[in-house]
Amino acid sequence: MSVAVVGWGLRTALGSDADAALSALLRGETAARPPRSFDGTDYRAQLVAEIDGDPAPSRHARYLRRLALLGCEVAQAALRQSGVATGDRLGLFAAVGGLRVHWQELMGPMAQQRADASDCWQRGLRGLHPHWLLRHLSNNAHALLAADIHARGDGATLAGATAGAQAIAAASRALNAGAIDAALIVAYDRLLEPETLVDLGQRGLPAMVGLQSWVGPYAGNAGGMIPGEAAAALVLVREAEAPLCWVQARATADGELSEPAGSTLAAAAAPLARGIAVVDGAARGVPTLDSAERIALGSVVDGNAALLATAAGLGQTGAAAAVVQTIVLALVLRSGMLPPIACVDVPAVGPLRPVVTPTPTAATAALGLCSGAPGLAAAVRVDVEKPR
Amino acid sequence: MITAVLTGVGTVCAFGSGVGELWRGLAEGRSAVAPVRQFSAANLGVQVAGEATAADIDAEWIRTQLPPDMAITLEAKLQALQLRGALRDRKLGFAVVAAAEAWTMAGLGEADRDLPLILAHGLEHGFPEDFAPLLRNGRVDWRLANTESGSVRMRSPVDAAGRAIRQLFGLRGPLVAPVSACAAGAMAVADAAQMVARGEADLVLCGATDSMLNPLGMGGMARLGAPSPRAEVDACRPFDVRRDGLAMGEGAAVFVVENAERARARGATPLAVVLGAGTSQDAFRATAPLPDGSAAARAIMVALRSARLAPSELGYVNAHGTGTPLNDPAECRALHAALGAHAELVPVSSIKGAIGHLMAAAGAVEIAASLLAFQRDLLPGTAHHQQRDPVCDVDVIGEQPRRARIDVLLSNSFGFGGQNCAVVLGRAP
Repeated sequence: MSVAVVGWGLRTALGSDADAALSALLRGETAARPPRSFDGTDYRAQLVAEIDGDPAPSRHARYLRRLALLGCEVAQAALRQSGVATGDRLGLFAAVGGLRVHWQELMGPMAQQRADASDCWQRGLRGLHPHWLLRHLSNNAHALLAADIHARGDGATLAGATAGAQAIAAASRALNAGAIDAALIVAYDRLLEPETLVDLGQRGLPAMVGLQSWVGPYAGNAGGMIPGEAAAALVLVREAEAPLCWVQARATADGELSEPAGSTLAAAAAPLARGIAVVDGAARGVPTLDSAERIALGSVVDGNAALLATAAGLGQTGAAAAVVQTIVLALVLRSGMLPPIACVDVPAVGPLRPVVTPTPTAATAALGLCSGAPGLAAAVRVDVEKPR
Repeated sequence: MITAVLTGVGTVCAFGSGVGELWRGLAEGRSAVAPVRQFSAANLGVQVAGEATAADIDAEWIRTQLPPDMAITLEAKLQALQLRGALRDRKLGFAVVAAAEAWTMAGLGEADRDLPLILAHGLEHGFPEDFAPLLRNGRVDWRLANTESGSVRMRSPVDAAGRAIRQLFGLRGPLVAPVSACAAGAMAVADAAQMVARGEADLVLCGATDSMLNPLGMGGMARLGAPSPRAEVDACRPFDVRRDGLAMGEGAAVFVVENAERARARGATPLAVVLGAGTSQDAFRATAPLPDGSAAARAIMVALRSARLAPSELGYVNAHGTGTPLNDPAECRALHAALGAHAELVPVSSIKGAIGHLMAAAGAVEIAASLLAFQRDLLPGTAHHQQRDPVCDVDVIGEQPRRARIDVLLSNSFGFGGQNCAVVLGRAP
């Protein structure tokens, strides 16, 4: 069942807010660039989508890393916009990607360790900063944000590539059960951590060419995915007279160890696909995956539906993807203009119709798909008119 | 109205592998917290813990813990995980063993492999032995990590144990990874039961696994100051006037949650009914519980309301009971706020003195431990609890279990960062 979105906040590599991201997408821009904040020569991925700038100074900086701080910022913005009441009836659902060890913060304590861990305390662990573990906690952003905004209702922190969709679904269930009156979703992820880039490289997914040579998703010669980062937030309520949009989410999976099969993406989409004429695909930029996705989607939506790839512009955003897509697709529908897929002139032949130039639309609903390992797939349905 | 029942359970903890070992240890009033044996913890800020085993976790260890036919079936896949280095993350092995026990106990088979898996995890595990060789001139040279294709290096992903179970058991259904700190395990069970009650699934595999018993995990906790500073086996003394911190533990618990009608139709024997659950947030601090316990009380009240029960119907409370100076009084205030006068009457215990704090897995293992009440009419005791702190004004069960026949119990999990979950279980009809 759909719930109403009454507030949102977004920070992506394409601008400092949601409107900036939409404008850039409509211009066909991509945030894909060679890495600026780290030495890219260590990795196979040659293009990434990095957020410009840093979070505002925060007293939480000693406990939270950059993306978590950005997550708190967009959450606060969403809450302000919504005007919902805080307290016992406000739930908080957080979606994070991997937690990662952050070795760069362990150089001192780890440099002199032995493989058998003998004398590990004397050899450096006693030098661990007391806040190191707090910065590493799975739910530190959730805890600090809940305290800041006084959210005492239901809540959970979820991890993994489709955690954003799972968080929307969990919050919707709590709303529809009457356990809470409003829910704040905060999702953030960064696929640019060293371990993640190594992992993506080993799976052969990222773009391994320069920007001039890179071709976007759904082209026959698509050049791989763009690892990115994002922070996004939604405020959900059961009903509202004039919400920003309505949203529904569903996550599923198959037995694959890496990316899910196309049929799994279609299975996630199918229950939400009634009347859908616009689809924002998982856009992995790997021709075999893109093709399988289109073929499978062709069985659950109109074969002539418009196919977008906002991830070609924004980068892949992992656990944040479904929340990012909710905001971006709502703005796209409200603008009446479908954004072209960045860096694609000639799409591959197949079901659905990849959009390669800005295209007017009268659609009032869109579907967003996202995916990740192991075999995880999710879909969000966004309506700008109240769904029947 | 669909009822969710538990038809399978498996555990690994400091009492050993198998829920029978957990129940036996609790029934005998033992404690398994002891000096750490896996590695030298001398000079480490924390030296005792509830270790599931002193052994390194590898394919051979896992095989020895599995039912014989499953050990044969899974041998090749276990070897593959070992070759990738994945089994070095101890919580993977614990989860696999617990899942195998639950799967077998519930009598699941080939037709059940599309079931959802909700497995709660703690922190990602980093492997210092992989890290050290990459150090070059004071920085990590990540190019050196790119040489082995497809292997797990440097880190074990946050949902690594869920991935391992899916791979080993050939599961194809949805995967959910709650990471709500020490409440995550209870949330996994609550979510699974609600999924069944809503009719979204007839069968869910759920639970939690965790181990921070490695130099980095224990060192980090020591620097944080949460564990007891005493290197004694009674490091954790819940609700005791002398309590001074927690004892770390490790392990896993996995359940099969099933539609009661389906279980009845196939002749499965339910262990318990999941009657209700509630969650809330302290909205206070990352490192301390809300002192008045009001948010935790809300989780308990929501759980009772969803179970359609009055507080007076509760026969036992399995407390979060960490044994830290701040947690235990806050939890007792929560019980008073939620249960009223019944808070002074209902027996309360914590098993963390016996097996340690299993972090993300704590809530799940404690639900498994609570089943002792239904299986043997015994309420688990509170190891190392000798003199109740007057501010913990509830009926704390002492070191030995208490014989009682009860029909309804509450299991509390109050996570670091103020995420709370309460689960109400009932005796199976």
